Parts: sequence; structure tokens; C-alpha cells
Amino acid sequence: MIFTTEMIQLFAVVLGRDSEPVTEALLGEGVMQFIDVSEFEFEGPENLPTVEPQASLAEISELRRRIEGFLHTGGVIPAAPRETDLKNRVPVDFEKEKDHLDGITSERQGIRERQRTIQQEILKLEDIRRQAELYGMGLSDVALSAKHSFISMQIGKLPASNVKKFEEALREFASLSVPLGQEDDMAHCLLISIRRDNARINSILEKLGWTKVELPGELRSVKKDVFKEISAKLTKLTEEQKALEAKVNDLVKKEEKHLKEVWVNLRVNELFCRIQTHFKSSSRTVVFTGWLPSSKKERLTEKIRKASQGRCYLEWNEAGSKDAIGNEVPVQFNNPKALAPFQMLVSNFGIPEYGTIDPTPFVMPLYLAMFGVMFADLGQGLILATLGIVSACLFKKEPKKKGLYHLSWLIIWCGASSMVFGALFGSFFGTGLFRPLWFDFHGIISGHSSHSSMINDVYDILSITIYFGIFVIALGLLFNWINLIRGGKWTELFFDKGGIFGAWIYGGGIYIASYMIAHNYKNLPDGTTLFLLVGLPCLLLFIKEPYHYFTHAAEHPGRKPNLLFAFLNFLMEWIVELLEIFSGYLSNTLSFMRVAGLGIAHVCLMISFFTLANMTSGIGSILILILGNILVIGLEGLSAGIQALRLSYYEFFTKFFHGTGKLYTPISLNSEL
Amino acid sequence: MAGPLSKYAFINAKLRARISKIVPDEKFSQLEKAPSIDEALALLRDTAFAGLEEVYSATGDLRQAELGLLKSEIELYRDIRQRLHQNSVELVDALLTEFEIENLKNAIRVYFDRKIRNRSAGTGIHYILYDRIIHQIPIDIILNADSFDEIAGVCEGTPYSQIVKKYCHTVESEGSLFRMEIAFDHYYYSNLLSAINKLDRNDRSIALRLAGVQIDLQNINWIIRLKNFYDLPLEAVLATIVPGGFNLDAAIIEELYGVQNVASVLGGFVKGKYPGLSALLASATSDSTSRLLLIRRVLEEVMKHEVQRILLGNPFTIGIVLAYFMLKKNELERIRTVLNTKFYGKQTPAD
Repeated sequence: MIFTTEMIQLFAVVLGRDSEPVTEALLGEGVMQFIDVSEFEFEGPENLPTVEPQASLAEISELRRRIEGFLHTGGVIPAAPRETDLKNRVPVDFEKEKDHLDGITSERQGIRERQRTIQQEILKLEDIRRQAELYGMGLSDVALSAKHSFISMQIGKLPASNVKKFEEALREFASLSVPLGQEDDMAHCLLISIRRDNARINSILEKLGWTKVELPGELRSVKKDVFKEISAKLTKLTEEQKALEAKVNDLVKKEEKHLKEVWVNLRVNELFCRIQTHFKSSSRTVVFTGWLPSSKKERLTEKIRKASQGRCYLEWNEAGSKDAIGNEVPVQFNNPKALAPFQMLVSNFGIPEYGTIDPTPFVMPLYLAMFGVMFADLGQGLILATLGIVSACLFKKEPKKKGLYHLSWLIIWCGASSMVFGALFGSFFGTGLFRPLWFDFHGIISGHSSHSSMINDVYDILSITIYFGIFVIALGLLFNWINLIRGGKWTELFFDKGGIFGAWIYGGGIYIASYMIAHNYKNLPDGTTLFLLVGLPCLLLFIKEPYHYFTHAAEHPGRKPNLLFAFLNFLMEWIVELLEIFSGYLSNTLSFMRVAGLGIAHVCLMISFFTLANMTSGIGSILILILGNILVIGLEGLSAGIQALRLSYYEFFTKFFHGTGKLYTPISLNSEL
Repeated sequence: MAGPLSKYAFINAKLRARISKIVPDEKFSQLEKAPSIDEALALLRDTAFAGLEEVYSATGDLRQAELGLLKSEIELYRDIRQRLHQNSVELVDALLTEFEIENLKNAIRVYFDRKIRNRSAGTGIHYILYDRIIHQIPIDIILNADSFDEIAGVCEGTPYSQIVKKYCHTVESEGSLFRMEIAFDHYYYSNLLSAINKLDRNDRSIALRLAGVQIDLQNINWIIRLKNFYDLPLEAVLATIVPGGFNLDAAIIEELYGVQNVASVLGGFVKGKYPGLSALLASATSDSTSRLLLIRRVLEEVMKHEVQRILLGNPFTIGIVLAYFMLKKNELERIRTVLNTKFYGKQTPAD
């Protein structure tokens, strides 16, 4: 758990005829992170061609994406393939599936085309309605006309046989024709259009035998409310639009089952081909290599042997061994599920290098301790935890929102930490409802601490955070040494800022500061002690630059060194390094005082809200307290979270964590798209 | 007098947070690969453009969705405008004028097609904004107008009335809106530069630099259009040039219009100010259009460079606001381009 998972490299040779079952076994197990063919080329067998999968990976991926996109439009997200899907893998008939998709797409296009036509009709009618509304035209009575309206209305008759042509011809314009009835072979119509189109409309009407008439006597009683007519037509068209929209959705639903099946099959084939792109082949054999966790070695060996019926050669190389291909070993975190939110914080900073310490298990207690001190309240913590639980329940079933799910869990943890520290400091929604288990934080800040404790004033609280900071920095330094020893980096172990000499200076500094505090800032330790604590390691650090210089000079024997310039350079580098060590460690340690600062701010804010509440009474007072608590939970919770993260990242991680590792991402059925 | 910190601290934090929400390049790569417009819109579901899919699904009309996009873009400017210090408000108004001018141009084009060219008003009429942007312009009357005088009359009280009056006869005699539209663009930039000149010294220099790059781009776009569609002589081209460019002045443009080797002309400022772009100039160009397109590409890169420069520089200046607008504009243009190519079934051009 403290270190990343131990990895091992497999170099395998199988017969060409066994490559299919072996690929199936590799995909089924889903534990191999293959090494790129280009890396392989330089160090592995020479001039071996890459295996060409039966179907083109690009072709499979394209069709898979196309189906996925189609399903996505209907809100369907296909689930990752299962082991049975791997067993039932069949070759995909690309032409058939493409034709099928083309058919659906063209059907959908047809519907969209129809939607567009209807939309144009809607827009035209809305144009008429808008103009009528804007310029105050009373359309409830056709006899009325408005002087400034752009609406043109006319009643006329035309041969009934021309009605269809009439409707077709007017489609181009924003217009509405209301049939008023038929008299002999002549159809009577009320035509509403926009005046700007009059010239063109009139020429069309003339061709169609339109004659303007007064409203015929027998139809005079038919009082059409044109406004209502437009609305009715709009409603009808809108309903038609909705029906077409539903038809597109139904199209996806209708095809969902088949498309999901094809998608799964394609996905399996895609992964299959992706694995085979990492294979290299000779005339009869296939070679591949990659990393996997050591714990999976036995099972994968068994699976490959079974798939190839024992006709295989498997070579296992430890990470760092000279036979291993490639320099970069992928990193797998090795933490229990409960630590997932903290692992998220770590990977947000970077991935640890292979074989180094994974800080996740340490981030958890440190982060929570800092958050708890800054936001110590049993009641507010309970609310925070409850909010976290609600949010975790919301995001639990959404695989795409994994990050938010982990964040919810982080909030639950933070809430729990607040509750613990609330109990330790005796705070419940800012009130001292119960006796603190450790010390009365509120009482100290407000100046009426009633409980006797070792912590009596603000300076004591600040001291706790300083000690905490020293502990965190010391832990970071220790981890750095462990990483350096494991990596065999002996020079860095001594000369690095976080190395032994740097830590020696830091330790000396702490002793000197404690000594001065113990002597009321009046005395320093004696000269010998000072030299041994700080002077000696400072002098030893001077060796660093010359050591590097002469080591590199040995690598380039032809170069003539300028010793004076080199000496000045060493001196400069040494001074800068010492300045960095002194100022860096001092600021890193003092930085932890923010934990106390935020904690004090939290208490002060609560005191302020209580003071405000005491100035009113009744419901006003309760409202102030409720709003105050909401504000404190929102703002203080956020800033405590950010500050704890900042301290973890910049004061703790920077001592030992480089974040330059590469995450282990094997090809498996669950591989991300 | 408010200091830069109080003027820009809030808006800087807000806009930087919003910049992180801009659709990333990976998403655009996915959009380009989407097999159809429906799939492309589905990919935008988890972005600020989710509304586009709703409109398209309900209407099948991409232009309708684009109209919504335009409205939201204008809203974005208004939203930022109300969060800005009084000194910078006029600049945002000047920027908003661009939308108003484009809308007015569209309305006049409908009138022009209908009255001068005797064509149908067409469907374009449904994709015009009728709401007020800066000035109260009765778009309905313009669409239904009988003459340019009527249009100038209803635009009375706005800066556009004089432009319409001045160029209406040219439009009628030449049968082209070209000169009137150029005049609108000139007004936009002169108004923008005048708003910039009212800013504080620090803000002014930043805004002038960015507006200058924008003017360069506008000029080169006009030149491409003039060369390809009108093949105008150099004098006519130079008359259309908007003054105030940052890298391209009239002399450079004159040289660029006829020169065969773009690199030799642009090399001067590219190597001096944007050495990272020198490689672009090495691209081989065979004809004059390719050369002009290459210049546009260089200028687009210059614009990106300038925006990045602002984002990495002093955060408490008007630069952050302008950089955000530029980034949003670029994002919206990319969205429009990719959706239109999907809609009309064409291949997305490679970046």
C-alpha cells in the first residue's frame, strides 16, 4: 500500500496459429499494458513485421463510433462488453452494417427534412402573427384594416381545380389562405400575406384566375377569427413537429437492441485488434511484450499456456532488470477503495514514479487532520457529511461522474473529521453545548476559556500547528530518503535540498529556535553547537557542485576546465542553495500556521453571527444563526478544503513526490473509449 | 478613482473560471469525426451548447439553432457588461455594435434582394434579430421598406442613417451592397477605436493592440473577397482598408496584394514579434488566393498569440475581458463551422 504495485514484464513468443486464442486470453484477463512497437523495435528482435489484424482497426473503430454516436443521440450509452461477449465474438459484416446504418441515417434525414419544411411554415405564420400583434391590427374581424400594418388581406375566388396550385405557389411566401367555401366551381378564399410580397403574389394570383370579390352574401355570416385560425394552424404544425421529433427518437429505440449487439461485438473486435497491433511476427511465430502486476503473473501464465496448448515461450523480467524492454514502468496504485477520494487528490497532482512511495495512505490522515482543525464543529460536520452522502448516492450509478462520486466521499470524510474535531474542541454549531474532549477552542478565542487544559491561548494553538508542520515536513524528508535509497541515488541522498544535509540544517534550525524560545529569545546555543548543527552541514553542501562538475568533466575528457570561473560558479550555486534551504524550510514550516488561522477565523465568524443574533430576537435571531451556519459551511468548508490541499501539495509532496510516473492502463474489456 | 485591482479583480476571476469551460480541442476533434449533425450535436450535450441539440431536434433547422447561438452570444456580452466598471462599459457597447451592424446588414440584404434584385424575401427573413441590441432599429420596417429613404428615415437617431443616405445611390447604381457594407464596417472600427481611446493608458495600449490585430484580420478577409469575387484594382482595394491595423499598414497591404513571395513581406514583423510563426511562412503557395489564405492563417495565429500573451500577462486589465471575447468568438465560429459542414454533409477542413 505504501509503495506502488510491483510490476513485472512479460516477453512472450507463441506460434502464429495460436495468436487468436492467446489474444482472447490476454483480452479476457485484461492485465497487460503492452509496450509500444516502436520501443520494441530497437531492443527486441530485429526487422519483425507488425501483425496485421484480420480487419482494419480503423474500420472497426469508425463503425463502432458511428453506432455509438447514433445510440448516443437517443440517450443510450452502451455498457462495456462482458466475458461472454468475448467468447461469442464473431466477424462483423461491415458492408451489411454500414448499409443498415445508412438506411437509418437516410430515414432520419428524411424526417429532419420534413421537420425543416414544417418549421418554415411555422416561421412564416409566426411572422404574420408577430406583425399583426406588433402593429395593432385587429384580426378578429376581417373587415378591419390597419393603416400602418404590413399585413395584406384580400378575399377572392378562383377555379376549384387551381386550389392546389394556389397553395403550392404561396408556399414560398409568409401567407395564410383560409378557405371560405365553394360556390359552383369557384373556391372562395381569404388570403393573408405580407405587403412586401404583394407584387409577386398578385402576379401568381392573376395566372391562377383569382378574382377579388366582396364576401358573398351566403358566406357573410361565416366570421372567421383569423387570429384563431393562425393559432390553430400553428398548434397543428407544432404537434406535427413533436410527432416527427418523437419519430426520430423511436427510430433509435427501434434499432437499439440490434445496434447495441453490433456495438458490443465491434468493441470486442476493436480491443482484440488493438492488442494485436502490439504483436510482431516472424514467419511462424508471434512476439509481444508488456507489463502487468506481479500478482497476476501465475494466472496469466496459466491462461496463455492453456490458449496455446503449451506451445509458447514466456520470459519474465523484473522492473529495472537489464533484460526488460523500455525504461518506463507503468504505475498502479495499490490502495483500498476507502482511499479512492485521497488517491484522486494525489493523481490530480501527478502519478508517482514506479517503485517510489505512494503518498495516498498518508494524505488521508494529514488532510483530514488539517481540515478538522480548520473546520472543527460537530453540527456543521454532520451537515457536511450528510450532504456528501446525498451527493454520493446521486452519483453512485453514473460511471461518467466517477470524479464527482469520489469528491462526494471526500466531503463525507471531511464532515466526519469536522465532527471528531468538533467533539475534541466542544463545538456544536458554534455553541459550547458539551464539554470539549481536548480543549475549548471557542473559549480561548473569545477569551473565556473555562476548562483547564494545556492549551490556554492562541499562541498554544499556533504552536500545535507548527509542531504538526514540522512533523509533516519531516515525514516528507523521510519519504524522500526512502525513495532515493530505493533508487540508488546516493549523491542526491546527501546533497539534495531534501537530502540528509538539508534535513540536518532543518533539524538544527528547529533546535536553535526551541532553545531561543526556552531562553526567552535572549540566548543562542554555544558556538560549537551552532557550528555542528548548521555550519557543518552548510560547509558539507559546498561539496555538491564541485562533485558534479568533476564527475561530468570525467565524462568529457577533451574539455578544458576554467578553474577560476568554476570556483566562482560553485560559490554562487552554494550560496543560492543555502538561501533556498533556509528560506524554504522556514516558510514551509510557518505555512502551517494557516491551519490555526483558518480555525480561528471559523470560530470568529461563528462568534460574529451569535453577536448579531443576540442583537435581535425571535425569528430574526434564528434566521441569522441559520444563514450564518450556511455561510460558514459553504465558505469556510471550501477554504479549509483548499488550504489543506495546498499544504499537502506544496509543503508535503514537494519534498519527495515528482509526479512523473505513467499510469498503468491495460487493454481490457473495460478499457475506456 | 478606481484602481485596476478593484476594477478587474472580480471579472478576472470570473472570466478565468469561464475560460476553463471553453470547449477543448479534443471535443472539436470528436465533433469533426461525428458522422452526422445529430451525432455532433449529441456530443455537445455536456457543454454550454446543449441547447443547440434541443432546438435542432425540435425543428430540424440548424439556422434556427444558430440564431439561438447568436442571441446567447449577445447575452454573454451584456452579462459581462453589467459586471464591468463604468469606464469599460463603452468598449463593450462598441463591441456589441458589431452584432447590431451584422443584423442590420442582413435586414438590408433582404430589402435589397426584394426591391433592387426583384427576388423573393426568402427564408433569411426568419433568421434576423428583431430585438434591440444597442439602438432601437425597427427591423420590420426595414424588411418591408419601399425605398432606402424609408430605411434611412427609420434609422434616424442612429449612426447608420447617414451611411444609408450616403451610399444608397451607389448601391442602386452599382447593383451591389458592397460599398455600404464596407462603410458599416468602417464605422464599427472607428467607433471601437474611439471607445478604446477613452480607456486608461494601460488598458488603452492593450486594447489597441488586440483591436489592431482584429483589424488586420478584417482587412485581409476583405482583400481575399475582393480579389476572388470582384478582382478590383489595387486603388479600390486600398480604399476599403480599415485604418488602425497592428501589423499590416497600407504599404504592406499594397505589397501583399501583388507580391509572389509572402514570406518576404510578412517576414519582417513575424520574425521580430512572433518568431514561433516563422515556420508557417515557409509553406509553399502556388497562386494569389493561397497566398492570401496563408496570410490569414498567419494573422489568425497572431491573434491566438496575442490572446495568450494577455492571459499570461497582468490579470488586472481590460485584456482579460477582450481575450475572453476573442476566445468565445473563436469557439462559436468553430462550433458553427463544424455543425454547418455536418449539416451540409461536407468534410470538415483540417486545422
